[in-house]
Formats: sequence, C-alpha cells, structure tokens
Amino acid sequence: MNLSLKRFSFQAMGSYCEIQIYNESRINAKRIIRKLASEVRRLEQKYSRYRSDSLVAEINHSAGNKLGIKIDTETKALFDHALNCFEQSKGLFDITTGILNRIWDFQSPQVPKQAEIDRLLPLIGFQKLSWRKSRLIMPANMEIDFGGIVKEYAADAAAKLARRLEVQHGLVNLGGDFAVIGAQPKNQPWSVGVADPNKPDNMMAKIELLDGGLASSGDYERSFVHAGKRYSHILNPKTGWPCTGLRAVSVAANLCTVAGSLATIAMLKDEKAGLDWIRESGLSAVAMTSDGRIEGNRLKNVKSEALE
Amino acid sequence: MATNPSPSLIALSATALALPGITSADAPPTQSTISYKFSNYAEDDLSRSEAPFGDLERYDIDVHQFQFITPIDSSFSLHIDANYESLTGASPWFTSKGVNGDPIVNLSGASGIRDRRSEFSIGTKYYLFNGSVGGNIGYSEEDDYRSSYFGLTGERHFNNEMTTVSLGFSYSSDAIFPTDAEVFNRVISEDKRSTSAIISVSQIISQVSSFQIALGLTEQSGFLSDPYKLKDIRPDNRTQIALTNSYRHFFINANAAWHVNYRYYHDDFGISSHTFDMRWYQNLRQSIQLVPSVRFYSQSAASFFTNVDNFVKPADEYQSSDHRLSAFGAFSGGLSFVANLGSWTATLTAERYVSNDSYSAYKVSQPSTALVRYNRISVGLDYTF
Repeated sequence: MNLSLKRFSFQAMGSYCEIQIYNESRINAKRIIRKLASEVRRLEQKYSRYRSDSLVAEINHSAGNKLGIKIDTETKALFDHALNCFEQSKGLFDITTGILNRIWDFQSPQVPKQAEIDRLLPLIGFQKLSWRKSRLIMPANMEIDFGGIVKEYAADAAAKLARRLEVQHGLVNLGGDFAVIGAQPKNQPWSVGVADPNKPDNMMAKIELLDGGLASSGDYERSFVHAGKRYSHILNPKTGWPCTGLRAVSVAANLCTVAGSLATIAMLKDEKAGLDWIRESGLSAVAMTSDGRIEGNRLKNVKSEALE
Repeated sequence: MATNPSPSLIALSATALALPGITSADAPPTQSTISYKFSNYAEDDLSRSEAPFGDLERYDIDVHQFQFITPIDSSFSLHIDANYESLTGASPWFTSKGVNGDPIVNLSGASGIRDRRSEFSIGTKYYLFNGSVGGNIGYSEEDDYRSSYFGLTGERHFNNEMTTVSLGFSYSSDAIFPTDAEVFNRVISEDKRSTSAIISVSQIISQVSSFQIALGLTEQSGFLSDPYKLKDIRPDNRTQIALTNSYRHFFINANAAWHVNYRYYHDDFGISSHTFDMRWYQNLRQSIQLVPSVRFYSQSAASFFTNVDNFVKPADEYQSSDHRLSAFGAFSGGLSFVANLGSWTATLTAERYVSNDSYSAYKVSQPSTALVRYNRISVGLDYTF
C-alpha cells in the first residue's frame, strides 16, 4: 500500500482547524476531508454562541417561555453530557455560566464590580433548567453555552465519520482539541504539542497519541493580568470569579469529548484538587501549576482504549 | 491504561459515547426523513402460442410508497409507512393441454383483474446503550384480502460493537374473500396465519469487510391455496426455513463497495431454492453513486405441482399449476443511479427479470408455461430535515 498524507486547514469554531488523512488516493482523501470539515461546520452553525441563527441562540431566546422549546436528539444528548459534567464536578462545570461573559471582558483588563457579579449569579445554575418530555424549560434571562463541549464533540464526530468512510490513519485538530483515527502508518504515534500558556508559541509538553482524543483547557490567550493578579477566562459558576487553580491541563482519553470535560473540571478545581482529579482518572495528562511547574504522566505512545 | 479508570471517567464516557456523532451506525435518527418512491412492475405479455385464447396481458402494477422516520426523543424513533398499489392485468386461471399436447395457459377473465392494495404500518425503535428494541404493527387491505400483522425486534452489540446479534419475531393474520366467489364457485371466505422468527449474527471482520449470517423459520397455516385458480389444492400448513449469508467488502482504491449474498431455502411443499446476488456500489463523484446488480435464482418444484390441471383427480389430493411452485430458474439484472443533493436524495432504478424452466439447477420434470418476465422501474426521492 502506498499511503500519502493529505492535510487541510480551515477556520471554524473560532479556531485554527486542521485535518490530516492518509489515503491511497489523494482525490479520495480530499473528498473525505471535505465531508469531515462540513460536519464540523454543521456543528458550529448549530451550536455557536456567536451566531444569531444558531440553535443555541434559539434556545436562549426561549428563556422565560413557559412552554419551553423542543430539543432534538443530538442536542438532548449534549444536555445529558452537560448534566453529567455538572454532577461529576459537583456543580463547577456548568453550561449556564456563559452569562458572566457579559461582564467579564477578557479583551480588556477590567475587573467587574462585585455588585455586577451578584446581579448575574441568580441566573446561573444547571439545576434550574427543567424538562417536560423533550421540551426544555429555561427560566427567564438564563443562557446556555455548549462552548466547553461542542468543539471536542465535533472533533470526535469528525473522527467517527472518518472511520465510517474507511479512514484508518488520520487526525482532526480543532483549535487544540484532537481526535485521532488510529496511529500513523507503521504504527507511528501522532506527536501532539501542548502549548505553553505563558508563551503560546512554545511547547510545554509533547504527547504521543496512538488512538483516541486529546483536549486542553487553560489560560491560553483569553486571560489578563490586572494589578499583579492573573484573571483566567475560566469562570467559577458559584462565585462568578475566575478560577485560580491550574494554569493549563491537557488530558488524553478514549474520546476528545471525555478528555475535554475532564480537563475543564480539573481547571475549575483548586490546584491540588485539580491535580488529584487528573491523577485519579488514570489517564495520560500534563498540567501546569500556578507557579509554572509542569506535572505530567505517561506521555508516550498513549493509546486510550474505548470504555465499555 | 495502567490504573483503573475513575468512576467519573466512566460516567463521563457513558454520556459522551451516547452523543449521536460518536455512537455507531445503530443510533436513533437525529433528523426526520420523508421518502416517496414510485415503482412500476410490468410483466411481459404472453405470446399467442402460450395462451391461444383470451387475454395475453399479464400483471402491471404501480406502487407508491411513502415513508416518514423521525426521532421523538433522545432514544426513541418513529417510523410510519404507507403503500398504495394499483394492479391491472390477468393471472393464470388454469392450464390445459393444447392440440399438440403441450400445456397452455388460460388467463383469468377477458376483463382481467383490477385491484388496489393499501397498507399502513407504524413502528418504533428504542435505542439502548448497547443495542435496540423495536416493534411495529400494520394493516393492509385489498378488495379480496385483509392482513393485520405485528413484529418485534431486538438487537445487541458485543465486543466493542464488532459483533451484533439480532432476534426478530412476527405474526400475521390474513383473511381472504375472493371476488365473484359465487359466480365462479370460489371459496367465500378463508383465513391464514403466519408466524416467523429470525436470528442473525453480524461480524465486522476488518475496517473494510463484514459478514452476516441469518436463520429464519416461518410457519404458515390455514388456507394456502390460490382461490382464483380453477383447481388449486394445497396443504393447510407450510414450514419454511431460510439461511442467508452476506459478505460486504469496501475497496479503498476503487472507492466502491461489493455486497454478495447467498440464500438457501427449503419448505415442506418440497421446494428448495438457491439465490445468489451481487451488488457493486460505485461512488463516482462526491454525490453520485452507480449500483449495478445481478441475481440468479433456482428452485425445485413443489411435490404436488402439475403443469396441466387435472380436473378428474379427487378433491382431497393436492395439486397446483401455479408457476411459482414449478421448478425454474431466473436471472435478473439491474442498475441504480443515486444522487445526493444537499437534503435531497434521488434514486432511479431499472431492473429486468427473466425466468425460465431451463435456467433451473434442479431437475425439471414438468416445465411451467406461465413463468414471468418483467421490467421494474422505480423513482425515489428522500428529503431529510
């Protein structure tokens, strides 16, 4: 077999995205890549927080409507996963937290007043959402945001689609969230660099993937320092303030979605609890602590087996 | 992984694996699909030498099929099917000996047959983490025939979804009340029942190939004869068994899939048959697929088949001149053209079928003169939203 590598990069979900596929036919690879990219774009269009025509915008628009809004199967499955994240993190991973972005602007180093935060806190809480069969009923003024889940899900969905299209060696990278389809030919691992939150052009670690997904969460780009204090864009739903634990976490798991959820929860916890959390998961992971120390385990030839 | 996964990891994996984009093919539909298909099935007319008297025109059937599939909840889907068929033409009424001793076919009345058939069925499928369960009920009606049926299916994946075991059960209860029964001395009203069970195992062999084996058993009881034939007396029970093997292979270089199936069938009327068919799914461009297919079929005759009706035989002895119970073979070939245009899928299919006693792999002691040749064309349109 004479496999050649085809790469394609594009902009989606507010990030640089790249798909790499090994195929015998370059034409075929191109055709497959086009299908994978359109699956990513479909999910972007459906779940983007920034598009007024997205389903998320429609869901948020329904807040306060007593009859609620009918939710399709795919979105319901995302809500189910979000509920699971909410429960496993004891309320720290909450898709209703996004409303705080109204007062936390990470483009300009400005710290909101406590009174402003207090005004928004009652509008946060996943447990406040209720369901009547397949209809979601959301209290007035609340908002949801699948930002912490959808990019990872899109990477997995594209990888799954690639497998269905008979791809045996490939990689999907959506802005640092990776899903790989098998190893590279001759069982060579995919070497994935994890960026250093201090200097995003530098690598803080390299993880070798044979299969599965890798996701990172951290203070990349969107954070600021004000009066000597660092403000992360990852916000604690209970306090309304940025979390102060780890600076960055990357986790490799069977699925990018699982890796992303675990990494985000690790970021939301206190530093020590966050490190314990990833250690307990038993997965390959690397983290940077607030004082710049890098902690990692098992970063070579990572093969994440599917969990039953 | 060296250590045991934490409970949180297991919990998070469960909901992530349930996401529609990540679960395997057997996932509830995330979108609704409406399909419409029109088919025309036209049997070739008989030649004058085969049927010296009466009508030469045989069946011509138009079929309209509607289907609607929609998710109703994250784990339930609903399937609604409605079919409408209109049929004109004639079918063999009785066979007799011609002047030179060869059997000849006498088709039903000069005005032929005109019939309509309507069918409606509704089904649901409930998707579990590692499989699915489903059920359906349906009803069909013709001028002279009514059928009610239900079915249950269950499916479970094993071995990282590499192996799937499916079980199915179905039951139908039919009523037959021939038209013009008194004029032609036909039965007034009869009924029949049919119970089927099927078990199948599918195994993914590699990333490009899979194999499936299925065993089905059907038990029919009641009135199994053809009420429109002048003399047709068949047993009241029929046990059928079928074993089907399917192999699928995807050719990466050719960007095409090859499906090959072999089926062995046997029943206690004495019929055994072999069916062998192949399909080649050629992807041409991003959205176009061409599917040529060939099929070969061969069966032995029922023990009571006769190609010339015997009107002096006692009424309690089985006999039938139904060509479908004779020993024969058939070849068919077809071509489908499939185009995907965004939310729309259009399918165009043409098929030619020719049956003849000389094609049979079995010994033919009494060839039937009523064997059919037909053309089938169909046009389908699916819309997904």
